[in-house]
Amino acid sequence: MSADSPAIATPPPVVQVRDMDFCYGASQALFDINLKVEYHRVTALIGPSGCGKSTLLRCVNRMNDRVTGARVTKGEVLVKGKNIHHADVDLTQLRKQVGMVFQKSNPFPKSIYENVAYGLRIHGEKSKSVLDEAVERSLTHAALWEELKDRLHANALALSGGQQQRLCIARAIATLPDVLLMDEPCSALDPISTLKIEELMHQLAKEFTVVIVTHNMQQAVRVSDYTAFLHLGKLVEFAPTEELFTNPREKLTEAYLRGTFS
Amino acid sequence: MASVPPPPNDPPPTLGSRLLRKERRVVAGLDPQQLIKYFFGANSSIAIIVLVLIMAFLLREGAGFLTTYRHELEVYRQAGLEFCDLADRPLQHQRVLANALRRALSIEMDPLTKSARERRDAAFLLKASVEEKTSASRADLEHALEQTPPPAADSLVHLREVVKQKTTAAAAAAEYPDLFTSAEKSRLQNELSELSPEVSDLPPFLQSLIAEYSTQDQAARSKFAGIISTGELFEEATDPVVEVLDELKAHATETKEQATEYFTLKAGRQQLLDAAATATDPERKAALLAEAEASQSDGVNFGERIESILMRREELISKLQEYCTALEAAFKEMPEQSTTAEATALVSEVRHAIPGHLGEIHQAVENLKNWKWDAPVAFYRSLGAFFFGTEWITNSSWQDFFGFVPLLAGSVVISIIAVLIATPVSVVAAIYTNQFASDREKEIIKPVIEFIQAIPSVVLGFIGISLVGNLIKDFSEISWLQWIPGFPIQERLNMFNAGCLLAFMAVPTMFSLSEDALNNVPRAYIDASDALGATKLQTVFRVIVPAGISGILSAILLGLGRVVGETMVVLLVAGNRIAVPDFSAGLGVVFQPAHTLTGIIAQELGEVSRGSSHWQALFMVGIVLFGISLLVNWCARAVARRFEPHKA
Repeated sequence: MSADSPAIATPPPVVQVRDMDFCYGASQALFDINLKVEYHRVTALIGPSGCGKSTLLRCVNRMNDRVTGARVTKGEVLVKGKNIHHADVDLTQLRKQVGMVFQKSNPFPKSIYENVAYGLRIHGEKSKSVLDEAVERSLTHAALWEELKDRLHANALALSGGQQQRLCIARAIATLPDVLLMDEPCSALDPISTLKIEELMHQLAKEFTVVIVTHNMQQAVRVSDYTAFLHLGKLVEFAPTEELFTNPREKLTEAYLRGTFS
Repeated sequence: MASVPPPPNDPPPTLGSRLLRKERRVVAGLDPQQLIKYFFGANSSIAIIVLVLIMAFLLREGAGFLTTYRHELEVYRQAGLEFCDLADRPLQHQRVLANALRRALSIEMDPLTKSARERRDAAFLLKASVEEKTSASRADLEHALEQTPPPAADSLVHLREVVKQKTTAAAAAAEYPDLFTSAEKSRLQNELSELSPEVSDLPPFLQSLIAEYSTQDQAARSKFAGIISTGELFEEATDPVVEVLDELKAHATETKEQATEYFTLKAGRQQLLDAAATATDPERKAALLAEAEASQSDGVNFGERIESILMRREELISKLQEYCTALEAAFKEMPEQSTTAEATALVSEVRHAIPGHLGEIHQAVENLKNWKWDAPVAFYRSLGAFFFGTEWITNSSWQDFFGFVPLLAGSVVISIIAVLIATPVSVVAAIYTNQFASDREKEIIKPVIEFIQAIPSVVLGFIGISLVGNLIKDFSEISWLQWIPGFPIQERLNMFNAGCLLAFMAVPTMFSLSEDALNNVPRAYIDASDALGATKLQTVFRVIVPAGISGILSAILLGLGRVVGETMVVLLVAGNRIAVPDFSAGLGVVFQPAHTLTGIIAQELGEVSRGSSHWQALFMVGIVLFGISLLVNWCARAVARRFEPHKA
């Protein structure tokens, strides 16, 4: 499918999925997926419920490993050119490289500071100045620093829903990942909070590469540079967002966008 | 809303439909739905009502204690028992000190007289064994000698010959220990061969051994004459005081008995009068009144009786002061140094205790001077005597004391031991089961740990007596473990033993509740931690355990509640010594026996007469126990709330 994407000469894709089949036990969830995610771009995965977009997202940081019987049966996933299923790959390092934000905000029942510092701490960072610096930087990126700088040691669970989700983003980017995976990050938020996060995503794309799963097609239009449409475990179409929404090449895509099915 | 009447050709309703149909049938002004609601409500109220009734019952039975106990303390004072105790307490201490001196002396004397004593004892043992081996023929000979008329001379000669032969053989066969030189051995053998029931004198060698021992003993005694004379003077110094005190005690006890009798009669008369007041039959009423009249007795005139004690106050005081002088004189002769370290330690311990002891006596003298028999006993005194009293003495011929501290100390120390042992075991097991165990392992671990709860506690107590006690005892005698405080232990049944078993009993509660707490940690926390690249251990210890800590703490507290209330195991295993544990032994205190709040109730409640002060005291203990349990449970709930993370 590389022919579908516009010609961007350099650099090489940060995430590349090649001919991948994926199974949960006996049932196959993804069929022959090919996808390239470019640096500093926002890539959206859309499609009806159960089409496998979340599964595809979770293949990138191997979150599916925790499900018994779930495995890649064909093809490979490359992050910065390295096969993530290779025996050399250290899972903790991979997940440091590929951060993730979940559908429902899930800050730890710790202070705001500790939440953001957690990723660095588990990777062995002890220096207070490094941690302080990382917390400030990450919260600034997540547009929370101004709001929270005076109460860094308050419990994170006391924050509002939107703040919690942005805190989760700050936590995920504190380790400076290359890719940030977002699994329907706004589905549990009110419109104002959603707007804030969408604004944030443009900012984030300057520093990181973002892959977002979303149900909301308007959101995909608003935030993404590329969009992939999945249906029944197959990647139907992958194109620059504008192109896909204005001029879909596949009948199935067009039908979905028109709302003929969902 | 009114129901629509059924169409006329409806089939007759079945029983099920009748029950289920919301007919407008009204019972006692309520429709069935309301009735059901009230039925459920009533059931849940029953628990609360029962709890209130239990509290009311405990309070009713226990509340009278403070007045009763105060009354007893009043009699204790007015009869003069308190006066005697003022002088007696320091004397009890004196006995402890005298014992220590005696022990020091025997430690000192032992090495000097040891060899002579062992030689003497070995020789006597040999003689006894030879005599026992030849007992049959000796008996024959003795029997023949006692006969009248005496048997024929030649048969006696024959019997003597047999005894002689057997004795010689036995003496030759005997083993002579190396305490004797070879010359001595052969001499001993010769003399033992000569043994005969007709000679009652000891063989000369044995006599010389006895003489040898007494010489050595004399030598040792003269060497330690200092300690011996001090010890004797020390022990004799109290004699004049004790003499006076014994007479006073006898008098005081007599007064107290009279008082007890009077109060018993008075209570009986009151009962008769009450019965008479309610009796309807005039004849019966008259009889009851007459009986009550007959039991009329004079009250005890404490003031008169106490006079004969107070008369001797000055005498007692002067005797005590003489005792002080005698004591000081006795210790002047005390040698500074002893030969063995152990004896030195004992002697110096006594020496250091002497100034304190003297102070005690002077204090006692002051107290005796100021003592007033008719000073009122304040109400708070009985409260204080219960909550801070260090003596729990019952069925005493002298005076009963209901001091709560020894029982509380036992319960507290045992509970601490149990919680300290059970907490790591059950929390770690819960973490393992919840986070690391495979499904198969979970299927084994959980039911097995929960099964512990089903073991009857009396069976556990049995194991504690027969198995754990011996194990601890054996361990405490291993030489390279002697650095552990309290080793080697004296008692098999002790607080540590009970603590171990209670820990075992608390494990299921703590394990199950901790496991639940870990289970309740939201999955999302684990996802977030995993997605950040945490290892399993990092996730467990940095996210899951901190998130579940409130549940784990409240599990520990509920386990503590279980431990505090447990009765059977402590009753069987804790050793049941009613004394405040000696905390000066440091951590070794855990190997001392103790009694507990629960154990004392179980043990004594069946044997006391209903309504007596002892009975009421046990109910007071029950009330306190109930309070402790409530407090622990309340803490568990408070902890669960305090650490509960804010709901997102």
